[in-house]
Amino acid sequence: MEYNGGSVIAMVGKDCVAIASDLRFGNQALGIASNFQRIFPVTDRTYVGLAGLGTDVTTLRERFRYRVNMYTIKEERDIEPQTFAHLVSSTLYEHRFGPYFVEPVIAGLENTSSGSKPFIAAADLIGCLNFAKDFVVAGTASSKLYGLAEGLWEPDLGPEDLFETISQTLLNGVDRDAFSGWGAVVHVITKDRVVTRTLKGRMD
Amino acid sequence: MECGVRCPRRRRVRPFCTQTAMYRGPGFDFSNSLRNDFLQHKGVALPKATSTGTTIVGCIFKDGIILGADTRATEGEIVADKNCEKIHYIAESIRCCGAGTAADTEFVTAAISSNIELHALSTGRKPRVVAAMTMLKQYLFQYQGHVGAALVLGGVDSTGAHLFTVHPHGSTDKLPYVTMGSGSLAAMAVFENGWKPNMEVGRQPLSPALPSWYSNDNVRPAVQREEALKLVCDAVAAGIFNDLGSGSNIDACVITATHTEMLRNFVKPNERVAKELKYGFRHGTTAIKSEHIRSLVVSEEITPIRGEAMDVS
Amino acid sequence: MASAEGGAYSYSLTVFSPSGKLVQIEHALAAVSQGTTSLGIKASNGIVIATEKKSSSILIDDSMIEKVAVVCPNIGIVYSGMGPDFRILIARARKSAQAYWKVYGEYPPTKVLTQEIATVMQQATQSGGVRPFGVSLLVAGWDIHRGPSLYQVDPSGSFWAWKASAIGKNMVNAKTFLEKRYNDDISLEDAIHTALLTLKEGFEGQMTEKTIEIGVVTVPTVEELQAETRGGGTGRPRPTFRKLSEEEVKDYLAL
Repeated sequence: MEYNGGSVIAMVGKDCVAIASDLRFGNQALGIASNFQRIFPVTDRTYVGLAGLGTDVTTLRERFRYRVNMYTIKEERDIEPQTFAHLVSSTLYEHRFGPYFVEPVIAGLENTSSGSKPFIAAADLIGCLNFAKDFVVAGTASSKLYGLAEGLWEPDLGPEDLFETISQTLLNGVDRDAFSGWGAVVHVITKDRVVTRTLKGRMD
Repeated sequence: MECGVRCPRRRRVRPFCTQTAMYRGPGFDFSNSLRNDFLQHKGVALPKATSTGTTIVGCIFKDGIILGADTRATEGEIVADKNCEKIHYIAESIRCCGAGTAADTEFVTAAISSNIELHALSTGRKPRVVAAMTMLKQYLFQYQGHVGAALVLGGVDSTGAHLFTVHPHGSTDKLPYVTMGSGSLAAMAVFENGWKPNMEVGRQPLSPALPSWYSNDNVRPAVQREEALKLVCDAVAAGIFNDLGSGSNIDACVITATHTEMLRNFVKPNERVAKELKYGFRHGTTAIKSEHIRSLVVSEEITPIRGEAMDVS
Repeated sequence: MASAEGGAYSYSLTVFSPSGKLVQIEHALAAVSQGTTSLGIKASNGIVIATEKKSSSILIDDSMIEKVAVVCPNIGIVYSGMGPDFRILIARARKSAQAYWKVYGEYPPTKVLTQEIATVMQQATQSGGVRPFGVSLLVAGWDIHRGPSLYQVDPSGSFWAWKASAIGKNMVNAKTFLEKRYNDDISLEDAIHTALLTLKEGFEGQMTEKTIEIGVVTVPTVEELQAETRGGGTGRPRPTFRKLSEEEVKDYLAL
């Protein structure tokens, strides 16, 4: 976790979800890069963020891509965020006694009989799922993000309000974490579009 | 798929088995162990796994079993989940509370629930609590305590009501009232004080005027019928308020021979107070460096190449 | 001499004939067509699968024979052909459904499970030291993505989706009968009666609740689906496939 640093957060809004992360990739205290993407699209309306050891972020991104592609081919449909969360969980638990050092965060819009429904989830490094109704956090700044999100999040935020809330939570959280920061990226997922914005952050 | 050093229990590899299958054989993958040992030796801190600090309880009453649990999950000193579910499904009339490493309790109960379902399908009979208990203890003993699940297993089957505790190393107990987890001492104190044989249970929620954990007398005449359920709630409440690892709400599950009632968030003694003001930010508060919009709306436009309409006559 | 791997004997028994046929598979189909008739009908609001259960002697306790089997809460199977082979397949199907559940937290869609069974059956036509399965299956199930679906799987491992189909001894007549009787908006109740009428066509002896087995898939309503709490764990979906009890079969036969 502290080896490369980095944090991820996801929040639920009204008919939308947002997932955001910082962009720092470090070697312990030494900053290496400020453009490390740790959030990846799974389907059009589902994204996964992987906080933790850089090498495992890359490995797991590829493993999940493989497994999701096989699922899509076999089932002839996109994977639902909830199903994907279970896939993540079982993949991680397979490595119960030699884990990947990552804490995944999943955000997406679920297809239900009555339209789409926001879905977020987080898992620990051995795949224990946490389905929250409001927000989930992971990474080196998680303790700070928990507190900030608890104060700033409120129910039924629209896409633009949600963007401001998640951005401010993340930026202020990572500013108090030495291992996270160096810019941030936010994805706001709605039924019709995904808005991706990069944010200016402190570079120290 | 990747090859890893497998747990010795893997029985056989079918050479013709489709490699495209998403699910793999039983057992764990140890392929990261060498690297992780190296990293740990270099001083890289291992992230903490979620654990359920937990108060879980169970007690026998006149018509069956009541299980109870708090809903806090912790990661070290952080509350990771304020409302998680610790009463797991094994079968319709068998349920299991889990304490310890959260992932382990989740997966061990899922594995045994799955096996019990297969067992029930092949025997054509309703599963028994002892069968689930034996499967659990054998599984846990096999992993010598490394699968950190401490469980309270309860249910009703053709032989009656049964209540067990299963420890992470595989030992079991069969008692009329049990507690587990970090709040087990607080909860057991309540049981030792208030439990008696052949208690009854009520279906009505506890009286909202007087919080259940507030009162000391467990046998108020007005709530006679709620006795057993109230005792379980008091025991979990003792854990919630006196143990740091336990918190938030009380889940309960009443299992009788004919019916199982899952009372999710039965008592909510720690409801969050509504915020007096909103902390919304004005649009434009956050400085944006770049913006990219991916439209998911597929729009189709037909442009005729020639002016003439196609002859369809 | 047979070596440790089985030597020359490890070759598959299913070898192409010069005319391009796999004779063993045709023999397997012959074994199926000796089995008792089974059929399946897809209705507008569900599916029925039914079979006749015939024992060779009146001394056999037929209460132990099970021809319609539950795989998982949303899928059931009926077979024609060799009982022992079916037992192996149903065990594999159940394990496969459970394995899927452990990974994805939900039971497999009918098509995926059918594919899985078909793969097992295909492997038996191309592996060393085994013979093809002597059964044809009708797989009926419901899932949220495709709704109710009915598949037939043959010993070769090929499978098709059907609106209505029959397998076993009387399949040709039964299929002709079904073609005449079937229409797209048949209700489940009518489909059950049609199923019984079709079985009656080639039935030897008395049709009773002891000699008929029926399984039904019922499509849950939108309200039922919304009532089910997804996520969290303990909120299990209500089963959509179930076997009819002897009393229920008796009631249908009486009508």
